[in-house]
Amino acid sequence: MSVTSEELAAYADGELDPARREEVRAQVEADPTLAAQVAAHAALKQKLAAHFAPILEAPVPDRLTELLRTRQPAPVAEFAAAREKRDARRALSSVRWGWVAGPALAASLALAVFLPRGGEVPEGYAGEQLASALEQQLVSAQPAGADTRILLSFRNDDGQFCRAFAGEAQSGIACRDREGWRLHTTGAGASAQQSDYRMAGADAGSILAQAQELAAGPALTAEEEAAAREQGWR
Amino acid sequence: MRRFAIGLSRSAADGDDLCQATIERALVNRGKWQEGTRLDSWMYTMMRNIWIDEQRARNRRGQTFVAEEGGLSVGAEGAQESAVELGNVGRAMARLPDEQREAVLLVMVEGYAYKEAAEIIGCPVGTLNSRLVRGRDALLELLGEAP
Repeated sequence: MSVTSEELAAYADGELDPARREEVRAQVEADPTLAAQVAAHAALKQKLAAHFAPILEAPVPDRLTELLRTRQPAPVAEFAAAREKRDARRALSSVRWGWVAGPALAASLALAVFLPRGGEVPEGYAGEQLASALEQQLVSAQPAGADTRILLSFRNDDGQFCRAFAGEAQSGIACRDREGWRLHTTGAGASAQQSDYRMAGADAGSILAQAQELAAGPALTAEEEAAAREQGWR
Repeated sequence: MRRFAIGLSRSAADGDDLCQATIERALVNRGKWQEGTRLDSWMYTMMRNIWIDEQRARNRRGQTFVAEEGGLSVGAEGAQESAVELGNVGRAMARLPDEQREAVLLVMVEGYAYKEAAEIIGCPVGTLNSRLVRGRDALLELLGEAP
């Protein structure tokens, strides 16, 4: 059985089923013309990759990153709706993830550039640097190179202000009590995820899902957040 | 995203406009994204639809594509020889029919499996496969590298 060009391309792309792949492999090895076609396919693939590579290396234009940053307060409506539905949702065990897509998009654009950092974290509370970010940073106006990004702010059932954050070393949720920023839930930071770009944002996604569970109401708007900061998050 | 957008639209400026429109639409429609499905495939499908709509609108307005003749200028800052080479690839890509170019982009540049690429385009896998082959053969021909 002869090999069509479609099959040959599928062979070069690793798309043939195993049985047919072996048959085609045998024919390619026996026929220099077929082998040359497979080589041409691979060479073209490399050439295309080289051609488009500079786009990935080029900085993402500000207007695209701004789009993601300024849209941060947008989950408000769905956040409130999600809160209302959360018991029903638990029963159905199907979390609505859509509103998490914003931060995930941000991650997929490699928007957030985090720098590695160490430091002692007191038992159960945010360390100095994290606490400072939690105190100062507003979702709507975060420095581009911030080590920690605040994902959103909300109040929990005790009326405390809580903030979901994502950083290089650590991601999680912290709520402000009299002692400081008590860590509620923490996960691995972005550095643990670098090996697989498709995982980028997944951790932020689970953090946001937990925020949804903890929250007593909608996420704070930019104005509410700024007001809360004025009041020292009390 | 930018790579696919710029490849699809054949120009960096159009590509970034396309990215912007796609992100805006994705944020508006984020409730429709299903957990467990790939976010990138979902976005690419949306991007492709936006681009098709935009092309129809432009055709109605009688506009031509600025980038069509010149091809892509990405990567043109390297050594003289490689710049020419990269320019050739861009021009060759720009001359492909849209359906072949998107098949080549999704499989050979973005690295999607045939099945995933076919889902993004919304065509059968066999159709994707034959468009890819025709696009690839045309590229090899244009680049003077047909075996």
